[in-house]
Amino acid sequence: MNKRPWQIHTTLPLAAALLAGVFAVSAQQPAQKIDVSKLSYAQSEVVIPNPSEVFAALDKMGSPNWSKVLNPPSKNKPIHPPEIAMLLGTVIANGFVAVEAKDKGAVDEIGRKVIELADSLGVREEVIRHSNAITNAAKDGEWNTVRTELDKAKSSVTGAMEKLRSRDNSQLISITGWLRGTQALTSLIMADYKPERAELLHQPDILATFEKQFETMGKGAKENKRVVELREGLKKVKTIILSGGTEPLSEKSVGEINAITTELLKAIEH
Amino acid sequence: MKNFTRLLVAAALGLGLFVSPARATVDDALSFALEAMGKYIKGGYTLREDTWGGDLPEKEAKAISHQLFKGNDYWFCMGSDVNGSKISIHVYDSDGNLVEESNSWQDQKADGSYAGAEVKCKRTGTYFLIVKIEKSSEERTSWGLVYSYK
Repeated sequence: MNKRPWQIHTTLPLAAALLAGVFAVSAQQPAQKIDVSKLSYAQSEVVIPNPSEVFAALDKMGSPNWSKVLNPPSKNKPIHPPEIAMLLGTVIANGFVAVEAKDKGAVDEIGRKVIELADSLGVREEVIRHSNAITNAAKDGEWNTVRTELDKAKSSVTGAMEKLRSRDNSQLISITGWLRGTQALTSLIMADYKPERAELLHQPDILATFEKQFETMGKGAKENKRVVELREGLKKVKTIILSGGTEPLSEKSVGEINAITTELLKAIEH
Repeated sequence: MKNFTRLLVAAALGLGLFVSPARATVDDALSFALEAMGKYIKGGYTLREDTWGGDLPEKEAKAISHQLFKGNDYWFCMGSDVNGSKISIHVYDSDGNLVEESNSWQDQKADGSYAGAEVKCKRTGTYFLIVKIEKSSEERTSWGLVYSYK
């Protein structure tokens, strides 16, 4: 099976010396500390979390107004596959926002849009059952099931894209899903800034992973205008995140990320 | 329980990364991991579709880098279908400190083995999941890993 873009798992063989350090104690009593510098040299990519993971963390820090950051469904009908994939990533991520907002109507619309876009990419069959499950679960208010089915829908689409040798588009779905999640996250942090909330943006390795994915994309995707804009925008986001070091980002920095991600989303959705 | 596990397996197979040529065996290992995760899903954790799998010789480990978010509670469950094998998973932060809860566990059954680790994340960032085949009679032992959060 092929790797999936948001599932690129960095399985790193550990040096023998490191292993000795890690597992010098029995498996029941793992070492309390290891030398990660011996891992970092080979570290390449991390799994891209779905928006729901970071939303769950934000929920524990207060009561965000999710309805306020729920975007209306995009009317855009792109024709170039990379742009369709980019829009699909944002739509699925918007589904996670709709779940947080417990908005049944929005979830229903998003389910339909997912099918429409999947159809355009030639992978309708792979998502149809998930889309139906999303709609039914939303009707019953089973929000955890909706989350799971959205995750499955994304996995099914990207898996199918990989089978069709469209890895670039598969990666774009994940990247723009992260983009939409981050745009919503920054909007909510700005609405009630607290350093502990801003800490959720500390994701430099994810942005490094995106950069590697852009680098290996084929010409068709890499030279697409929207993809170029996305890549440039995410480079700026990475710079801002890295500027904070390990400290939570300032309100100003969160605002800057929000402005960049909002602009990128507008270009994709309109 | 078996039906629930089958459902999880059906949902997850075909979704993970398999670095091993012995795909069918890794699928089996993943089904063990999903079976181990079942009780946490029933307890309100949300299963992620991202999975890992592969095979390793005895005593060899692999590291997986993974983003976690402060405030979330994670369970990582690992499985292997090799009889008599013993496997482990442990989680370290970016400074190399062990961060898992003390309730991490390892278990062996007649037809395979399991391991689990819980992390109550106190700092957002990149973490390292260290998976290892502690004991096995096979030259290479297949393993699968899944995770959930709440």
